[in-house]
Amino acid sequence: MMSNKRRWTRRGWPAALGAAAVGGTLLLAACSSGGASASASITPGGGQHLAGFGGTSATPTVLPTAMPSGTSMSGMPSSAAAPTAAPVAADAVAIHNFAFGPQVVSVKVGTTVHWTNQDSEAHTVTSDTGAFNSPTLQPGAGYSFTFTKPGTYSYHCTIHPFMTAKVVVS
Amino acid sequence: MRSAVLIGMRVLTAVATAVTGYVHADLYLNNGYRVIHVVGPGFLLLSSGAFAVAALLLIGGSPVLRLGAAAVAAGALGGFVMSRTVGVFGFTETGLQPAPQALISLISELGALALLLSWHVILLRSRPASAFTWHRWLLAPARRS
Amino acid sequence: MTGEDSEHGMTRRQLMRHTAWFGAAVALTVTGSEVISHVAGDGSPAAAAAVAAGPGALRFVQISDSHLGFTGPANLDVTATFGAAINQVNALGYEPDFVMHSGDITHLTLASEFGQAKEMMADIATPRVFTVPGEHDTINDGGKLYRKFFGAGTLGNGWFSFDIKGVHIISLVNTTSVDALGVLGADQLDFVRRDVAGLSAETPIVVFSHIPLYAMYPKWGWGTSDAVTLLGILRRFGSVTALNGHVHQVFAKTEGNVTFYSAAPTCYPLPQPGQAPAPLPVTVPAGELSSALGIRTVSFQAGSTNLALTDERLT
Repeated sequence: MMSNKRRWTRRGWPAALGAAAVGGTLLLAACSSGGASASASITPGGGQHLAGFGGTSATPTVLPTAMPSGTSMSGMPSSAAAPTAAPVAADAVAIHNFAFGPQVVSVKVGTTVHWTNQDSEAHTVTSDTGAFNSPTLQPGAGYSFTFTKPGTYSYHCTIHPFMTAKVVVS
Repeated sequence: MRSAVLIGMRVLTAVATAVTGYVHADLYLNNGYRVIHVVGPGFLLLSSGAFAVAALLLIGGSPVLRLGAAAVAAGALGGFVMSRTVGVFGFTETGLQPAPQALISLISELGALALLLSWHVILLRSRPASAFTWHRWLLAPARRS
Repeated sequence: MTGEDSEHGMTRRQLMRHTAWFGAAVALTVTGSEVISHVAGDGSPAAAAAVAAGPGALRFVQISDSHLGFTGPANLDVTATFGAAINQVNALGYEPDFVMHSGDITHLTLASEFGQAKEMMADIATPRVFTVPGEHDTINDGGKLYRKFFGAGTLGNGWFSFDIKGVHIISLVNTTSVDALGVLGADQLDFVRRDVAGLSAETPIVVFSHIPLYAMYPKWGWGTSDAVTLLGILRRFGSVTALNGHVHQVFAKTEGNVTFYSAAPTCYPLPQPGQAPAPLPVTVPAGELSSALGIRTVSFQAGSTNLALTDERLT
């Protein structure tokens, strides 16, 4: 009698362990931060400022050196809304859709490059050689680095290593 | 005492399965999953199956129903993992989006599987010893409870 | 005890019991899916379309050819019909991620017409409104006055591009050169070449222009002379959607990897190709005008290139 019960118990526990392991792995895998629900950030094409003008729910969208807040602001002025970007548009990299855009940025020595995370996931900006390393950038966060030596700096996101890009400093 | 435990297992499993069904129905109806290729109809099927199994579990604890509840939970979990890795017919998502439904659903599915497992173990332990057959082990026929 | 176990497998009674539960579960599942589907099907088509966009989907609206300043029997009050179109956009039941006006905003390239149009469009419930100039917006000035009102952030004659939710949008100008057909020009084609150079072939592309980028009816100027080069640049992409105005009627055509959609106007219709001696405003019987006008809603599912395009008549 008892031996039968023990036998079933022994067979039961591996299944329980298995389920727990599966569950734990799933939770770990799913644990990359949920992040804010994606706000529709409009990223101007390479080297451009944002065209068009605001409707009634204009939000502060992409400006090369600004942090998108993602919250709606009502009552944006209807007159020509030229974005007040600093004239360093080429030194801004937007992190969007699990990619760095533009993927290759050319700057002069002494230029500061600004990265803005416009994605709905956290990312990092990490040099392949250790020259620079951002903290974990939550959606909306930014990071800047000033390049003081010429060269080509390849970098990636440590959370999603398939995201790669480079900065060419001359 | 034992009957109470078994009734409790039935009810809890029914609740967990119903939650899974509800979350998927909500995503289907109100969050646009309806229009996603294959995934949409899949959600409909899962959700209605979940409600069906949950409702019947309140009446009885047949092994068929326990298997059904396990299938609902495992199917939902499998779809979740696939959508975040290889994709489901081209559809992919990331992390715990959509929040909070993804997390709630994960919890109810894992909970349902854990409940079903313990239920199974309880049933096995409670049976008088007899020769092993796969039918007996797998289905651990329920007592009336 | 729950009935005799046989030595190998289940008894007939157990089998019947299992089957009964299985059948009940199946029956309830079918009923349940009917109920849920019924709930899903309720509501107006617009509301259904509103919730139909999946998570992270891109939804935008195209309006076209408002021709503010036009007076004539074909439409005695283009301002009213344009306003009705804007109200219809605001009543969609969701907020589009942006709205694009695909040209002929004004009828006579007048500052008052531009000003009124911009004021009206700033009331659209959307984060951003974009525009493309039509030939009526660039009469005799190469687009200078148009750009004064709508040129902020644009390049060249008024072209630009942007990315949103994984879709790459290009807005082109083919109406500033005086020619029988639309012209893009070498500068603009170079811009497109550079603009799409870094994009993966899976990126969905949407191209806006005023005049169709395909030969819809060259006799009436409904085509673009150098569009072939543009389409060559975009050949490698899996999904290219070209949305235009100018022809004042809904029309769709697929050529290779590109699907072209012409949009309805908000002012008055034009005849179908060859159905009249010239593309002049068509006066329709009273009460039928609004069925010839409309707005267009487009949605892209996140993570795929499937798009849903709905042309809604003016209500």
